Amino acid sequence: MSTAPSELEAFVEFADNPEARCPCVLLLDTSSSMEGEPILALNHGLKAFKADLCKDPLASRRVEVAVVTFDSEVRVVQDFVTADQFEPPGLLTHGETLMGSGIGKALDMVAARKAQYRFAGVLYYRPWIFMITDGEPQGEPPEVVAQAAQRVRQEEEQKKIAFFAVGVEKANMTKLSEIAVRTPVKLRGLGFVEMFVWLSRSTQVVLHSKTDEQVALPPPGWGVV
Amino acid sequence: MPGDQWRVVGASIRGTSHERSGLPCQDAHVWNVDRDGVLVAAVADGAGSAPFGEVGANIAAKAATDRARWTLVNQSPKTPRDDQGWHSFMKDTLAAARSAVEQEAKNRSLPINEFATTLIFLVAGPDFVAAVQIGDGAVVAKTSDGGILSLTRPPRGEYLNETTFLCSEEGLANAQFLVARGAMAHLAIISDGLQMVALRMPGGEPHPGFFNPLFEFMEQERDQMAAQGRLSSFLASPRLRERTDDDVTLMLATRVV
Repeated sequence: MSTAPSELEAFVEFADNPEARCPCVLLLDTSSSMEGEPILALNHGLKAFKADLCKDPLASRRVEVAVVTFDSEVRVVQDFVTADQFEPPGLLTHGETLMGSGIGKALDMVAARKAQYRFAGVLYYRPWIFMITDGEPQGEPPEVVAQAAQRVRQEEEQKKIAFFAVGVEKANMTKLSEIAVRTPVKLRGLGFVEMFVWLSRSTQVVLHSKTDEQVALPPPGWGVV
Repeated sequence: MPGDQWRVVGASIRGTSHERSGLPCQDAHVWNVDRDGVLVAAVADGAGSAPFGEVGANIAAKAATDRARWTLVNQSPKTPRDDQGWHSFMKDTLAAARSAVEQEAKNRSLPINEFATTLIFLVAGPDFVAAVQIGDGAVVAKTSDGGILSLTRPPRGEYLNETTFLCSEEGLANAQFLVARGAMAHLAIISDGLQMVALRMPGGEPHPGFFNPLFEFMEQERDQMAAQGRLSSFLASPRLRERTDDDVTLMLATRVV
């Protein structure tokens, strides 16, 4: 006969697996046309993104955020960090719109990150690349853009990434739909906060559901297709 | 009383993420030990993205055990002699579970994927275990000489959140199937929600520190009701829920010799 009922939780030991990760690259247009109101709204949106992710304990540990900007150059403003470590940057604007090069950089970063996960035995979710622009590719040869579009198409087909494009104000939506496989969404006004809260919630949906294909995301309330 | 028997305790507990979003517990488990001491047990995990995942899980688990019990009663010999025979037995069981879910979808005029569920099912006698699994979770066994092993394990897709379901096209084709011979002292079935604490990922080997105390508990706690209560409070304990926010199911079976 057992004696005093001991609590099982005191005896059962848990496996020490590394936390699974869901990489998410924010690929942001910081060309000079974003100056003023738009960039302020975008910076504000990034703060909302962090705040909303951190409300969900699982998301704050599992979602890894990276920020890449493209203007006259492509810069990794923030390499992958978990949401709880993410410090939203204050972005500034200048110059042209090296979108194709920016996309290439984001795809490279995702591939490298996955290789690190595999090496470390970390389980992961399908990476997201979330591109926001108010214009169209500018200041780079058309081949660079065509090549970027080609890679996006290929990697979507092979389920290597999920690539989303969001157009702001006078963004060239036709051009965006030539680049992204998924239908680009036009942001309503400068509703970046709504958009980033949606993005945060959508990653949470992904973390909390099992699927035999890509998760169907809730329709965005912040934009028009 | 003929031969061997199994003592079985099982519990499914709703995860914190399901509580927050108002989802029910979408895990289900069913088990039965017949007069000859043969155990049939099923654990199903309804997909969070499926509106009727818990319905699918309950139907699949019940239909699988019902079908297997019926087959055990009606076929001769009672249990298949070889792997081939077990393979047909398990395929037939899965097909019955699948068509029960399909029937429910049809009755409600809803698409089958709204009832998406995984399914783990096993049959265990004194000297064999046959297990089959579609989707995530695992069956873990401790042999009578003390070794702990995974009989089935989470399939390794590239992405953590992608899995296969009973009623998806590749469901039956991708099923894991295994027959183990020899005496098992203990068996455990875990649902997806316990994978990260009970298994060493990504390989899916059992973490002995997790299972040994549970198997020991099964040996010591002979009172069914008390065992049931203690298992449930373990699954609901803050320490566990800090590590997993999904629904969790744990079924433990210990052979009584």
